[in-house]
Amino acid sequence: MSVNSWVVYLFEVESSQLVEAELRDAILEDQLEDWENHWQPELWSAMLRLKAQGVWPVKQESAHWNWQDKIQSIRSLLAYRTFCITCGGMTQGMMQVDLTKSARIESQKGKPIVYIDYLENAPWNRPTLNNPARYRNVGTLLIRAAIELSRAEGFKGRIGLHSLPQSNNFYASKCGMTDLGPDSDCQNLRYFEMTIDQARSFLEVPKE
Amino acid sequence: MKVMVTKEWCRAKARLEEDAEVGVGLLALDPLAESCAPRHEEEPQIAFSRFVQLMRRKKKLSVEELAEEADLDLGELVSIEENMHRDPEPRTVYQLAKTFGVPIKKLSQLAGLVVARDPGFSQEALRFAARSEPIEKLTPEENAALESFIAVLSETSEEDEKAR
Repeated sequence: MSVNSWVVYLFEVESSQLVEAELRDAILEDQLEDWENHWQPELWSAMLRLKAQGVWPVKQESAHWNWQDKIQSIRSLLAYRTFCITCGGMTQGMMQVDLTKSARIESQKGKPIVYIDYLENAPWNRPTLNNPARYRNVGTLLIRAAIELSRAEGFKGRIGLHSLPQSNNFYASKCGMTDLGPDSDCQNLRYFEMTIDQARSFLEVPKE
Repeated sequence: MKVMVTKEWCRAKARLEEDAEVGVGLLALDPLAESCAPRHEEEPQIAFSRFVQLMRRKKKLSVEELAEEADLDLGELVSIEENMHRDPEPRTVYQLAKTFGVPIKKLSQLAGLVVARDPGFSQEALRFAARSEPIEKLTPEENAALESFIAVLSETSEEDEKAR
């Protein structure tokens, strides 16, 4: 299996510098090992720390979680179209996409999209768990990868996803996606979709 | 597919992203609220201490050897076995679960990191703690208690099934 990789840049919060990272179009065994051996212990530590402070968790966002299911699901990522970002010898973010879904926005209804099944940032990059976060841009670069894949597949940049509640603002305001509201077929997570124009705008350098 | 990003784009996007959370999809959800509620019972933790000790002895390891094998701090392992350690580190429980080959979720319940949803589990843990004594060699009774408790740790509760 050939794996493509591209140079990308994460923003290291501590040094306020861009650092070189790698975007790959595959999740390999190394990523799963990082998830099990580094992400999960870090998540548990953060969870307990926040629990002690009385600020963990927000119940609505945490429902239906099952450790065993998650481990099995993460391991099954090896079989799907996936992406990851690595930096400093560690997996910083992972994404799984599905190319069989169709658009829902009226203007592009029924057209094929790249649907993001799963996107997760490493716990140390999540400001709600680790403040300040270590790196920024993981989410942005994975969305960029989804858009580039969409263009390469002839979908012209159209993508869709179900955002976790704490991420709604990122997809609405920072990525400029259209919010189609809660989806009862996906545990009421809000569905967001990006049009061709929105994708084009996302790829431009944002104005100061 | 090509991905060609410039530093300028990445810098501007990082500024825009700020402290945003980015999780997508049900798979990216975090643990249950109920699973990290405050602990009310001490029994499972006594059983955790006893369980670690018996599993170590069953594997014929010294405390030092287990600490090395599981890549744990020796001091923390000693305090766990002597039941002085109120809140073991999540990583410690994780490493022990891997080393002993038991489910992390159940061992976390036993360690008191998370609350067991199955009330019978606490009872089983208490019975296990009562049946075992921290002596040098495992007696047949202790061995039987350990084996049956490993079976309890490994079984899937009805509630777990529903959650699937």
